[in-house]
Amino acid sequence: MMAFFMVIAKRIPALITGFGLQSFFLFCCVLLIAFRSHKPEMFVLAGLILALKVIAIPMFLRWVTNKIQANEDLGLLINPALSMLSVIILTALAYVFAQHIVGVSDKTVVISFAVSLAVTLAGLFIMITRRKAIAQIVGLLLMENGIFLSATALCGGMPFLMEIAVFFDIFVFVVILGIFVYRINEVFTHIDVDKLTNLKG
Amino acid sequence: MYLILAIPLAIALAVFFIPSSKVAGALNAFGYGLELIASVWFARYILANKHIADGMLYSDALSGLFVLLISIITFASALYSIPFIERDVQSKKISQRQPRTYYLLFNLFSFSMYLVVLVNNLGFLWIAIEMTTLASAFLVGFYNNKHSVEAAWKYIIICSVGISLALLGTILFYFTVSHNGAMHSLNWSDFISVASKLDKNVVKIAFLFILVGYGTKAGLAPMHTWLPDAHSQALAPISALLSGVLLTTSLYAIIRFAVITNAVAGPAYTSHLFIFFGLISIAVAAAFILVQKDIKRLLAYSSIEHIGIIALGLGFGGSIGCYGALLHVFNHAATKALMFFTAGDITHLYNTHNMRKIRGAASALPFGGPITVLAAFALGGTPPFSLFFSEVIILYAGFVRGAYAAGAFYIALLAVVFGGLIYHFAQISFGKKPEHIVAAGTPAIAKSAFIFLFVFVCFSGFIFPDFHALLKAAAGIVQGTR
Repeated sequence: MMAFFMVIAKRIPALITGFGLQSFFLFCCVLLIAFRSHKPEMFVLAGLILALKVIAIPMFLRWVTNKIQANEDLGLLINPALSMLSVIILTALAYVFAQHIVGVSDKTVVISFAVSLAVTLAGLFIMITRRKAIAQIVGLLLMENGIFLSATALCGGMPFLMEIAVFFDIFVFVVILGIFVYRINEVFTHIDVDKLTNLKG
Repeated sequence: MYLILAIPLAIALAVFFIPSSKVAGALNAFGYGLELIASVWFARYILANKHIADGMLYSDALSGLFVLLISIITFASALYSIPFIERDVQSKKISQRQPRTYYLLFNLFSFSMYLVVLVNNLGFLWIAIEMTTLASAFLVGFYNNKHSVEAAWKYIIICSVGISLALLGTILFYFTVSHNGAMHSLNWSDFISVASKLDKNVVKIAFLFILVGYGTKAGLAPMHTWLPDAHSQALAPISALLSGVLLTTSLYAIIRFAVITNAVAGPAYTSHLFIFFGLISIAVAAAFILVQKDIKRLLAYSSIEHIGIIALGLGFGGSIGCYGALLHVFNHAATKALMFFTAGDITHLYNTHNMRKIRGAASALPFGGPITVLAAFALGGTPPFSLFFSEVIILYAGFVRGAYAAGAFYIALLAVVFGGLIYHFAQISFGKKPEHIVAAGTPAIAKSAFIFLFVFVCFSGFIFPDFHALLKAAAGIVQGTR
């Protein structure tokens, strides 16, 4: 659901809030699974999601936006209504694809996998149709959320060590991208990636 | 095995505390000399023991071959870095403090590449590949000007999206392994052992995600768009690493998954995909090589071409095709690294990347110039050099398999690329050199790096006594007959 909200978000802070909320729902999902399965590592995982994705990353992104003072429009290439429509279509496609992969054996698995695929696709969609560098970071994070959800839906989560490593990786990744946004802003005085066209051919 | 991983980390730590860039560079090169010796020993050890599994790490002849390759290229690159960085500091392109950052990132980058080829867990493989992107992104954007920041941004964004898709593919593999194979593990060796039980359709779709995902990083067309930017903007020693080994380590990841897919769904499926992407890559690269103006972009497109040739070799398959493809990986890395080094010298001397403004490089650089010409012929695939032999082996594999149309298309494209490369390099090497360019000598350390690589350009890896056996064993693993 939050993916839909993010697709229609027009300004950068709204997009970041959307990401924080979506991560919060992810946290709830994992917590629910943790209570059901009584695995201690699932609780740790839920805690990590809360700490990193709900609190740390959105805070960091806000800090970067404030620092470079880029509270302007996201630079939509496709308007909100049309974006909404496209994502609904993508969701339907994801559902069909999920049915083919999983088979019709288990309804909840199919639906949760479809949802996670839809989130991944929505992330990709945001990356393609938004022009600001920060929006691309958030789109990528959204994709990652979707992939994480699909891992949980399909396999009940990856091996624990692996999850921790992926989390760490994502965090480093966001920090590095943040630095690059800062540098782009410094060197180009804007963060409009559509205008990064010096290198061609 | 741990020694191989430990050396880069140790150097990374050491150079961090050394303020002088000269000392740090010398230490770096010395460390990679040690690493090279360790790798040769490691490769022999693996040949004797078939494979080693130790906790999270797993290695067989295929990993041994790649470890050897990474060591050779990083050693040459570490040697060349010393005069290169020195020169940039003197000409104030980078500050006094930056060499330290450079050597630190250099080591993290090479460490992550070693990790890619040694790790058993396919999830950690993904993490290691993401690490290579993150470590090298700063090296691409090192000069911190408009062009390099733009290149680094595109590099990191495009590769990360690609790699997310690869993660999805990995999860799908894991899904069928845990669902159909009843095994909760991400280890490659476990995947192989349950391959017969896996769901064919899921594996096929998962392999598509993997191929597109890691293929982005490997520079297969049409997912190659980041590559010319990043290669042309990175520092010359780093371009050599990016082109020579980074691309092929991603290809290594694809090969690992292809082996599983072949065991599940038969070799025809991956073979068709490899041939398809391989030919597209060669064709796209050939077109861009003909009209290229920027010397480093020219070399970058040539990398795409060679990655395409390697994919084609893997697609033709059979023991000959796999052998040729792996040999080509090796030869291409040595030749391309050498080209990037000499191109680095040329662009520094003329202070431009534009090939129309570079004339008479052969007389302006008495040592580097002739080497450039020879290496350009090697890159085009002219007989006395090693790339010619691997290209012919791949072609032969295609005809053995009966893929005449693909083979013919392949030769035609190679001819186009050869023409383009020789035209461009003849233009820049010969002719009258501009008045204001003063002929410059090559520092002794850079000369030794050139000669070191040139040996491999001529004789490939066959100066090592067991190289043929190593290649054969590695080709056997790619084919799935262990």
